[in-house]
Amino acid sequence: MSDASHGENPYRIYWVSWFILLLITVAMLGAEAVGLPRWFAVPFLLAFMMVKAVMISGNFMHLRFEHRRMWWMVGVGLIATSLILFVFLVPETYNVSTRSAP
Amino acid sequence: MHDAATLDAAHWGGGVSPFGATWQKTMMWIFIVTDGLLFAGLLCGYAFLRMSSHTDWPHQAEVFSIPFIALMTFILITSSATMGCAVTAAQRNDRAAATRFLLFTIVGGLAFLGCQAYEWTHFIHDGARLTTNPWGAPQFGASFFVLTGFHGSHVLSGVTILIITAVRSAMGRTPAQNVEMAGLYWHFVDLVWVFIFTLFYLL
Repeated sequence: MSDASHGENPYRIYWVSWFILLLITVAMLGAEAVGLPRWFAVPFLLAFMMVKAVMISGNFMHLRFEHRRMWWMVGVGLIATSLILFVFLVPETYNVSTRSAP
Repeated sequence: MHDAATLDAAHWGGGVSPFGATWQKTMMWIFIVTDGLLFAGLLCGYAFLRMSSHTDWPHQAEVFSIPFIALMTFILITSSATMGCAVTAAQRNDRAAATRFLLFTIVGGLAFLGCQAYEWTHFIHDGARLTTNPWGAPQFGASFFVLTGFHGSHVLSGVTILIITAVRSAMGRTPAQNVEMAGLYWHFVDLVWVFIFTLFYLL
């Protein structure tokens, strides 16, 4: 039978995740509000962004219960491709920004 | 030769379920990855525009009401939680609870869309257009409209899918798997917002 038959709330994981996501969001807003130095704020916000993404995909989308191949497909498909795209764009950004404005 | 072919098939054939999931779920995940790549391209394009801008990028807190954006984030996160509950309820064959949670999720989605419409109205009223804006770098307006516009259109599609799913669920004509597929899409919309919220509104 289901978990509920043992007295456990089957929706608990969603509300615990919701609460943690809320706390993280408040922490991110706090970091933005107090005006942390840029060198600290950027990695701080990016790290929390990734934690939120992992929590949503893992707990809400149940990716952590899926076959490992599914993880690889999503991980390589999305994260690696985005990083490659970004890394190839950065040098061109430098070229454009150092060119004189029209 | 025959043995080698059999070995290859065992290794590379994939069988009937290479990802250990139903074909519906596998195809939904493949769709999510491809749709995610669309947003990855848009966010990388945004990074490019911002980093290569000759003029200063506007400070977001001076342009947007960050508490209002936080409210939008809260609404979307809450709707994701209720969607997760709807999926679990559907899998437990609790049709009434599944429909109720779906309705909560729809209300959340509509509230988010209302907030976005309000934000767009204000932004346009303040003079922002696709190619110009009163705060500095002209690419700022384009980035805002394209990123939030694409995301908003996904929310609208999600709400439409959820309404259809809720009606069918109430009639007892939706298997649990369909609720799960709708849920995957809805959580993806929430996931994309996490990136837009951080990269566009906070950084």
